[in-house]
This record gives sequence, structure tokens and C-alpha cells, in this order.
Amino acid sequence: MIQVEGLTKIFHDKKRGKIVAVNNLQFNCQKGQVFGLLGPNGAGKTTTLRILATMILPTKGEIMVNGLDIVKHAAKVRRQIGFLSSETGLYDRFTPRETILFFGRINGMADKIIEKRMAEIFQNLDMKDFQDVRVNKLSTGMKQKLSIARSIIHNPPVLILDEPTVGLDIITAKTVIEYVKSFRDQGKCIIYSTHIMREAEKLCDKIAIIHQGNLIAQGTLEELKKNSLFDDLEEIFFELINQGENQE
Amino acid sequence: MSWKNIKLIFIKELVGTIRDKRTIIAMIIIPLIFYPLLFAGIGYFNKVGSMKSEEAASKIIIYGAEFAPQLVKHLQDYEKIEILVIEDDSPSKLQNGDIQAVLVIPSDYKEKIEQEEPNKLMLKYDATEAKSRIAKQRIDQVIEKYQGEILLQRLSRLNLKEEFLTPLILQEENIATAEKITGSFLAVLLPYLIIILIFTGAMHTAVDITAGEKERGTIATLLVSQISRLEIVLGKCFAVMLISFTSMVLGLFGLTLAFLSGTSIARGIEGVKFGISVNTIFLLFLVLFPLVGLASAVLVMVGIFARNIREASSYITPIYMLTIFLGIISISQGIELTGKMFLVPVLNSSFVFKELLMGKIYWSHIITTFSANIIIAGIALFGATRLFNQEEVLFRS
Repeated sequence: MIQVEGLTKIFHDKKRGKIVAVNNLQFNCQKGQVFGLLGPNGAGKTTTLRILATMILPTKGEIMVNGLDIVKHAAKVRRQIGFLSSETGLYDRFTPRETILFFGRINGMADKIIEKRMAEIFQNLDMKDFQDVRVNKLSTGMKQKLSIARSIIHNPPVLILDEPTVGLDIITAKTVIEYVKSFRDQGKCIIYSTHIMREAEKLCDKIAIIHQGNLIAQGTLEELKKNSLFDDLEEIFFELINQGENQE
Repeated sequence: MSWKNIKLIFIKELVGTIRDKRTIIAMIIIPLIFYPLLFAGIGYFNKVGSMKSEEAASKIIIYGAEFAPQLVKHLQDYEKIEILVIEDDSPSKLQNGDIQAVLVIPSDYKEKIEQEEPNKLMLKYDATEAKSRIAKQRIDQVIEKYQGEILLQRLSRLNLKEEFLTPLILQEENIATAEKITGSFLAVLLPYLIIILIFTGAMHTAVDITAGEKERGTIATLLVSQISRLEIVLGKCFAVMLISFTSMVLGLFGLTLAFLSGTSIARGIEGVKFGISVNTIFLLFLVLFPLVGLASAVLVMVGIFARNIREASSYITPIYMLTIFLGIISISQGIELTGKMFLVPVLNSSFVFKELLMGKIYWSHIITTFSANIIIAGIALFGATRLFNQEEVLFRS
């Protein structure tokens, strides 16, 4: 469903010069899979996800989403993806209903279909009680539910979730993880970035560890454990990061 | 490009803007309630102040009153002049406002009158004090009247008629129609007001829906949807145009109300006929729309370029100052633009507004202004769309 080959992104900064944010990444994610991107801050996770979401262009590499090249067919790719990150904020002056109607419409959906799907999503995410309350009056958890609803209203086969539990209390975070699991069960292909190891352990079918723009390991949790001295993902993570730094 | 998508963005921005309390305050409360109340208050206090000054008698001191008993009698007979007998320092009393004027009559007053020579009287007053100015006017009136009497006496001694003094009479006739008078009255201030109201109306919304979206982190949500960048820019720009135009109309309406409610000012425009032809109104709109579009497109472009609302405001301040400057040029009397100057945005519109209000229709000016503003607005829209495609502009922090 998602195939990434040799993805490289170079930024040019006036002061710092050439910055390689992502270097020659290679991975793929299939239908009904959660692919975890793990890395410390500044590792290149967000840049990778922005490129997958067609917000920025790659410098090099080929990325296919559901058989479509993201550079050549950006508009069509957008139809296939639901994107959620700290950057995809919500409009404070709109209610959840209005928000979902708007995003359904701009994704080319007919009002009847939006209404039907919205009713389902609001039911599943337990959002009915606050569907007509303006966003600025909602709690962080409610807002995150709305963000999820927004990203799946057009029923995309691919979900790109950038740290979806950041800033949430543990109960809401758990709910979000449950939803992600249910989306996987529905057969969606999910790219999930996080720096919370427990989440990755529980949720991800495959894990890629990125450090300073380089992919330093990838595989299932079992595969990662097999190649490591440790049994715990957090220990494995630190081991790999240290190895990466020593190699440099 | 899909008009449906542009409409979706347009409506979303409009609803968001209308639900913002600041918009309601800036668009409705300030022009329609605050301005009229403010002007009414100023007018009321001005009126009360001037009535009080006019009702009170002017207290004056005369030095050398004994040399001109008849003149003093005329002054005493004037109901609202009170002559004080004073012993101490009069200049300080004048400064303190205890008295409003000092009249000094020279000791040779009587001889000079008899010899028919000019008499120099000295009147001291404080031009910064309303009461003192009124005292001066009253003394002027009395002296003029008394002077007239002296002149008549002298003429009769010489067996001359009063008409002897007026060999020429110049009769004047103002051929300007009421409409033209209104037009010239409006032409002074209206173009400037229109321009300022368009820019101030557009500023807040333009910044809020561009740099504001970046600041609130909602812009990426739009960028990953199926709406194209051009559609986003056009939708936003049309919303700013409508808000800007509505703000201008409400602003002008509010200022008119304010103008009429300021009682003292209103007295000055009594009898002015508001007569502008339908053709003129049509042409005014023809020039107005590209200007609204230009202001909106430029402000949207700047808003997209800025990192956040604060940065956008600091970029917009010099643009606003430049607009005020160009608008002020149109207020200055006697300045006329030459052909090429009609290519300068804002300046061109203000002068065409001025010409139209004066009843002058110069098609070359209208066409140049219309085209220049449309082209610049188009360039700004193109620039805004280009900026939306530049990741370093969208994601710099």
C-alpha cells in the first residue's frame, strides 16, 4: 500500500547550510498493518510524514501510495490518505458537526454521504454529546477525537498519524490506541509515528527506528529483539541509537 | 479550478470571521454605535460650551474711558458687555481669565476725532480663550457701529450722501448646482475615508485567515485536502473582499450618522443636497471593486508570507502608512495627477473618486485605474498562490 524507496529530503538553511533531514529511507506498509516510526525529536519523523501526506516534496526517492506516485499524482494521493498531526489543528469557531461537514465537502463528498458517515463516526467515537459545541469549548481529548473523525471522514485506505497521543491523558490516549487498532482491523494501512515505546510495542506490526535522518533498524518487534541484546523495546531503541552515534 | 471549492473556503472564512467577536466590534459596534455617540457627545459639549460663552457678559476694562465718553456709553449700552473699574494689574487678570479684554483709549482721542485724524485704540485679548474671542467680537461690533455714526456725521457736514462711500457694488452669483456643491464637499474627504476603511476592514480578516491559520496550526489541514492552493487563496481573498467592502459601507454609514449626530457640525451642512447620479454611483463601484480586490490580495499575500499574526502586523503597518500617505495626497487641494500617475495603485483610485464626485468623467483615467489595480491584484494573487506552494514559507518557524 505504501512503498518508500530511497526517500531523501534536503533543506537549505541560510545560516546552517545544507541539512539532510531524511536520508535514503526505505520501507513499506501493507493493508491492515500499523507501521511505527520511532525516533527522538529531530530524527526526521515529521518530515517523512509531511512528504507522505504530499505537503512537501521529496528531494530524491520514489514514494507510492496505493499504486500512485505522490509527486506526480499528489491530488489523487490526498484522496487516499487521512492525515493527523499536531499541525492539523481545528477551527475554534466551528462545532464538530460543522468541521466534519466542511472537511467532507472539501474532500468531494456529497452531503448525504457525509451525514451518514458522520453519524457512524460520532457514534463510534462517542462524540454525540458535544457534536454541536464549539471547538474552543472542548477538552483536549474531545478535540483529538474530532481530529480523528476529521481525518477519516472520507474513509481513506491510508492513515498517517503523527504522534496522535501526544498531550493526552492516559485514558484518552488508550481510547485513541483502541481506535487505531480498530482501523487496522478494518484493513487500513497506518503509518504511526511516536516516541512512546509502550505504544509502539502494543500497536505496531512493524517498527522502523530513525535517527538523525537515517533508518537504523526495521522489522517486527520480534525481529528487533532477535538482533538485540535486550528484550525491551526501550532498551533496544537506546542500544540502536548509541550504535548509530558511535558509527558516526 | 472549481468554483464549488472556492465557495466552500469562502463560506468557511466568512462564518469564522463573523463568529469572531473582534469582527463584530470592529465592523458594527465601533462605526454604528461608537462613532455616532462620540460625535454626538463632542457636538453636545461644544454646543453647551459655546452657548455658555455666548450667554455670559464679557467683562472688560477700559483705560482712558474719560477721553471717549460717547464710545464708552455705546459699550455700556451693549447688553453683554460689563465694564469693570479696576485698580490692580489688568494683564494678569486677562491671563487668568478674570476679564476677557482690555481697551486702551489714548489721551488725545478727542482732539484727533475733532481734527478728523485716525485714532489708534488698543484692544488686548487672548485668542486662545473662547470667552476672550467673543469679547473681542462684541467690542469690534460696537466700535464699527460707532464708527459708522461718526462717518455719517462727517458726511452730512460735507453735504454728502451715504452712497458716496460705495461707488462700486459687486454682485456675486454662484452657479454651482446643489449636486456640485455636495460633490465638491464630499470630494475632499470621501476618497480618503473610502481607502482607509477598505484597508482597515481588510486587515484584520486577511491576517487572521492566513498568518492566524499558521499560528493556530490549522493550515496543514487544508493543504492535505483535495482543494488546490489557488482555490484556497481565491476563497480566502473573496472572503476578505466581502468583509472589507461591508466594513467600508458600514463605516461610511456610521460616519454619516456620526456627522449628522454631532449637532454643532450638522448645522454647518444644512441645506446640502445629496444628489449623486446613478451613472456616477456605477462608475464609483467600477473603480471601487478593483481597489477592494487589490487591498485584499496584497494583504492575503503578506499574511501567507508571515510566520504569525505579529509578524504579519509588522509587515502590514508600513503598507497601511503608505496607503494613508497616498490617501492624504488626494485631500490636498490643487494637486492634479498626470496620465502615468494613474498607474499608481490607491493614488489613482482616490483621484478618480474625487473626479467622479465633482461630476467629471475622464474615461482614460477610469480605464487606466481599473486596469492597473486589477493587474496588481492579479499579481498579488499569483504571488500568494506561489507562496502557498513554497514549503519554506509554509513551515518556517
